[in-house]
Amino acid sequence: MSYLDAPRLHFRGWFQADVSTINNDVRTFQNESFVPEYQQYNQNGSWNPEGTGIFRFLDCAVTGGALDGRALRTPADDPAIGMLVENADQRAPGKLVDLDPQQQMVSQIWGMQVRLLDAARKQALSGEFKPAPFCNLWQRQQSGVAMDQKLAANYQSVLEAIGWDEALDSPLLRALRDATQDGLLSIAFNVYGYGRDATIPRYTLGHVVGSIGPYLRGEPKHFVLGRQMVAVPSKQSPLAPLNGVYDAQGKFDGASLTLDLGNTLPIKSADTGFEDLGPLLIGVATTNPTTELTDVPASAVTVIGEVPYQTPHWYAQTAGVQSYDLSGNAQARSLLPGCPVLLLSPQADGSYKVLLQESLDGQYLRADNFVFRLDAGERADIELYASRFGTPLAGAAVALSATEGFMGGSGGGDKMTPPTRPHAAIPDIATPADGVAYAASASTDGDGRARVELSAAADGPGRPRGYIAGQLYGIGYQLSAQPAGYVSNPLNYISVLAYTKSEPPPQPTWYEHIQPLFTQYGNLYPIMSRYVVDLRSYNSVCTRLKALRLAFSLPLHDPNHMPVTRDLSAGDRATILRWLDTPGPDGLPLLGHPPMAEPAPKAVSSAAPEPPEIELAPLQSAGKTAFVLQYLARRERAGQEPGESS
Amino acid sequence: MIRLRPEIISAIHAVEDPIDLHRYLQCAVELEHSTIPPYLTAMLSLRPGTNLRIAALIRSIIVQEMLHMSIAANILIAIGGHPQIDKRGFVPDYPGPLPMDIGNGLIVGIEAFSMPLVKNVFMAIEEPEQEIPIKLSAAEQGYATIGQFYDAIQERIRALGPSIFVHKDAPPQVIAPRWFAPDKLFPIVDPDSACHAIDIIKLEGEGTALDPFQAPGEPAHFYTFGSIVAGRELVVTADGYAYAGTPIEFDPSAVWPLRANCKIADFAVGSQARTRIEQFAYNYSALLNALHTTFNGHPETLDRAIGLMYDLRVLAVAMMQTVADEASGQTVGPSFEYVKTQGGMP
Repeated sequence: MSYLDAPRLHFRGWFQADVSTINNDVRTFQNESFVPEYQQYNQNGSWNPEGTGIFRFLDCAVTGGALDGRALRTPADDPAIGMLVENADQRAPGKLVDLDPQQQMVSQIWGMQVRLLDAARKQALSGEFKPAPFCNLWQRQQSGVAMDQKLAANYQSVLEAIGWDEALDSPLLRALRDATQDGLLSIAFNVYGYGRDATIPRYTLGHVVGSIGPYLRGEPKHFVLGRQMVAVPSKQSPLAPLNGVYDAQGKFDGASLTLDLGNTLPIKSADTGFEDLGPLLIGVATTNPTTELTDVPASAVTVIGEVPYQTPHWYAQTAGVQSYDLSGNAQARSLLPGCPVLLLSPQADGSYKVLLQESLDGQYLRADNFVFRLDAGERADIELYASRFGTPLAGAAVALSATEGFMGGSGGGDKMTPPTRPHAAIPDIATPADGVAYAASASTDGDGRARVELSAAADGPGRPRGYIAGQLYGIGYQLSAQPAGYVSNPLNYISVLAYTKSEPPPQPTWYEHIQPLFTQYGNLYPIMSRYVVDLRSYNSVCTRLKALRLAFSLPLHDPNHMPVTRDLSAGDRATILRWLDTPGPDGLPLLGHPPMAEPAPKAVSSAAPEPPEIELAPLQSAGKTAFVLQYLARRERAGQEPGESS
Repeated sequence: MIRLRPEIISAIHAVEDPIDLHRYLQCAVELEHSTIPPYLTAMLSLRPGTNLRIAALIRSIIVQEMLHMSIAANILIAIGGHPQIDKRGFVPDYPGPLPMDIGNGLIVGIEAFSMPLVKNVFMAIEEPEQEIPIKLSAAEQGYATIGQFYDAIQERIRALGPSIFVHKDAPPQVIAPRWFAPDKLFPIVDPDSACHAIDIIKLEGEGTALDPFQAPGEPAHFYTFGSIVAGRELVVTADGYAYAGTPIEFDPSAVWPLRANCKIADFAVGSQARTRIEQFAYNYSALLNALHTTFNGHPETLDRAIGLMYDLRVLAVAMMQTVADEASGQTVGPSFEYVKTQGGMP
């Protein structure tokens, strides 16, 4: 079960992502060439240089639900409808964090609590959002105000450490409590219509719709092992699908089909509804085609039902999750186990245009967690799930290989103002090649699951990127027996940040060990340095030793963890703590001596090419748009089409 | 000198049942908290990198007010009470009088830093019973001081004796050596420890009748504010004390032009100003919630409260740079309203 199953609830409202944007350009990590201008508004595309990193829900409420085959829409249907969906009220809000300036396409939410509150503000439910990156990033919006983030994405994870009100008066919530397992709940939400223009009310805010449902033991936590519809990318961009609609996932339980279309349909603008695509239908093909379908005659599909996307309040009340009761449609029931689900647009001649189709032959492979941070010598499991038409695929061969994904050569536009002095090149990723290790192949078990051990080299990757520690690795994966012409979601690959190894010295000093770390952080996170403690100054740091001690000792998942960016190795954090805990005769942490002038660390391998020239608006010169355009430029240079496997 | 109604003092003196003492210690918790919002606002309104000495001095006072609030709460816990912090009524309705109508008409608001604010409000709040070297005039007698309020509580605690201290059933007190020195925040177990703790509150706020310094180099709050107004540190001279030490620079151009006493309701729903001020108020309320939990059986929650305090500081930044009124150029000031809903957009 998952958020696609009943009992489930849906919510809508706003979110705030008050991200800090100076670190959108990797070259700002070079301390030697950092200048205060980089902290100014709109410099190098930095549209929120004083961002706090806070991610939170605003004015969010439960708008609908499903229980025992009934749609719930008002408080009269169930007291849960109308409940507020809020974050923590006794600690700091969650934080939104990029994996790395060179991998900004998997931003994760850390430390977010989700709570449901009734009208009397009594807490019915609380849970901790297990940190998860967004997925399914696409260009959902074609127009809007300047600086609108036209991309949309979704998050799927589980709520952990669930707490229920003992006297739940909501049948929906009681059913949810009884249905879920392992003390977890499944949660998914879509974010879109985000404003980056400081002059509009929506600045740093966007819309969110989401769903919460039961979680069952053994299921993936970050996607649904079910029916996966994958959009064909256009030639313009891997994030702009050919037919203007994006991916969807769903479940067929033998009696009904439930689809999540919450991140599928394009919107006119952040402040309006969907684009009018005319009537949209869900159908199932009557055969299992060997290629992507384009136009099909009516005889080639069995219609399941309409997508009521133009019905007022449909999106708000369902978050785009639509169930189709198939009790009266024996043909669809018999076809669904072996034929693809389709999103159809009826044509004047009675035929259908296929806007979206289930993955070819129903085959699908997905890594559950796809973002890893590894200290030197650390190991983690990559969990992959293979399925065919939503049924676990046992004994399937899986192939894994290195990929650059959106990362390689990325992390800044082609110009930086003022230019870095000394020159800071955009580093190569994935060097040295043996920084992480994993098996090149695996086979799925009876549940369609394969576990692949991922390990970081015992000595770490060294410092191949020069001015920025750690190294990024991408791991692509696919079914070995994937059908020819299969369309993959270009975002489905694994991102690994392997930390540079460091051991805390017995007596760390400010000049030798702490200042380089704190200076970088102070440069890139000025909200802290300007208003709380100037991390570049020993004297300033000495005024906040206790608070720093607390923040650096908090676990990664705590919202107050330092650094907010969560990009410091365990060794570096241990060094900071030891420095804080090892005072000199004056009672203050050791100052040490300024180092002799040394040449700046060599930035990157000499083979690293300059970033491809890309055309960007001044305010886009770093960040996600730049990533997409750079990806396209690199593909073009390599002679590959977008979406083509590398 | 700040004054409160004398009947409060008489009422404390009349307390026979320790439970009746709870409300006065709750008042003490509220009183110690009530000065933090105005002081904090003044400190936060100083633009970064400027007026550093003034900001540091106000901050040191705020930290001590937090200590005093903790001491008062611990005494309340020690005699079987339960501090109530997560309530709308816990926070004064600024601008207005401090808890217990203290101040004989003194109205305390939420304003940007200014010398008149420090002189007329902050110094009035902290004014000692006997300002050195000025002696109390006969005309001003008849009102009670905060010092007398605490004197009365001390007297009653001693009179009621050790039996009012609940040892076994009381929730744990908040002892936080990471944040407060053990000689300042210590377990309250008997009349001696309670009275000693109250002495610390009195000493740090008003100082003594003889010495304006609460510790070497560290004037009591009244004299710290006095030094800010005078523009020089307080020093010992041959014939007493004088504001004649190191200059304390003030750059009036480096203060955010906050509109005074902003309330959430002043700003249109859906505006950036509304979003920012609501976020600040929600975070502040979360801080009170965390403190309530801290002082009601979960001292470990103090670290979360500290995290929220730091968040409050950075949240103030965006808020104080958001224009509240195009015509005047004023920006949004904080609102210390207790809110329970995380709103800000329609």
